[in-house]
Amino acid sequence: MIGNVLFNIGYSHFLVLAAVLFAIGVVGVMARKNALIIMMSVELMLNAANMTVVTFSRMWGDMSGHVFALIVIAIAAAEVAVGLAILVAVFRGRRHVDVDRLTTLRN
Amino acid sequence: MSAALVMSPIQGPRATVVRRPMPRVVHWMLLTIVALMTAFGGNTATVAAQTAPSQPIGSTPVVSSRVQNYPQGDRVQGKTPDSKGLALLFWLFAALSVGGALFVITRRNLIAAVMGMVGTFLGVACVYMMLYAHFLSVVQMLVYAGAIMVLFVFVIMILNKPEDEPVAKGNRVGKAAGGLAIAYLTLRLASLLISVEPANKELAAAAPAPVKISDVTGPKGTAEYADWGGTKAVGMELFTEGLFPFEAISILLLIAVVGAVAIARPLKDDEASATGAEV
Repeated sequence: MIGNVLFNIGYSHFLVLAAVLFAIGVVGVMARKNALIIMMSVELMLNAANMTVVTFSRMWGDMSGHVFALIVIAIAAAEVAVGLAILVAVFRGRRHVDVDRLTTLRN
Repeated sequence: MSAALVMSPIQGPRATVVRRPMPRVVHWMLLTIVALMTAFGGNTATVAAQTAPSQPIGSTPVVSSRVQNYPQGDRVQGKTPDSKGLALLFWLFAALSVGGALFVITRRNLIAAVMGMVGTFLGVACVYMMLYAHFLSVVQMLVYAGAIMVLFVFVIMILNKPEDEPVAKGNRVGKAAGGLAIAYLTLRLASLLISVEPANKELAAAAPAPVKISDVTGPKGTAEYADWGGTKAVGMELFTEGLFPFEAISILLLIAVVGAVAIARPLKDDEASATGAEV
């Protein structure tokens, strides 16, 4: 059984790897306070979703999954640019990017 | 949180030592996922090959064609020493990406977290390569490990402040919810890996086989077959079916660039008023 898992890599391995990466990203978003780490964890989750899409694309022999992943990568780049700009603007005003202390919009 | 801040002048050094390391539980849960995958994943890896021959109707041509269709080069079978090494490479890349991801969410130093992120992206790019997505793999390396990580490093340099509070403290509801979510995910993953056996075997055997790559591109051995996932194939797909998203993405990127510049631009009158205003 162990040998099967080790030497017989199927689609499920890729899918489970993507799920584990996504779970780690979720843990990072929930557990960390620094907004930069949270953004990195979001990138991690986007990567995991991309890997799932590419795996299914390979599974069905359909190239449109690759196009979808490409567009997700472009959107992630745009999101990082705008998000980091917002972080820099926030840091300029308050000297920290601690999400627990950014409570201006609470209540 | 606010109570701790109020108490800190009274209690002195005791209130400042509330920082906690990353909970070990998270590490152990992720290790459990990997261990379960190692122990029970054999069911999933061989389920497609096992279901069809074990059918009572296994002698019908439908089932046998399904069996022949399934291993089509995307499954790294351990028949020769070479493919064994290839299969082990998958584990290397998976360990690289998962280890880098764990590095990201556990490190206190931001630069170390970015380095873990680079490792993750390189591992993911190599996994893309194993999925025959050559073009996407190179794009992943260029865009993520090249551009986005450089952007992160620049912003970390701008926001150069030692981080001393890596984990949210004292929020019991959040911790309970997070722990429940992790436990649920672990349970689902484990049950998925343990019991992938299809409920209705005859239905599963009669289901249409996955499409062969050669049906989409061309017969095996030709240039079109070899190019699956390459630049030409992605380009053909991108500029025919994905033309409108492609153009929309270009507009979105333009808007993002303009927005990033507009947001991050220093405002001269904003500087003085904002520094003293916030906690």
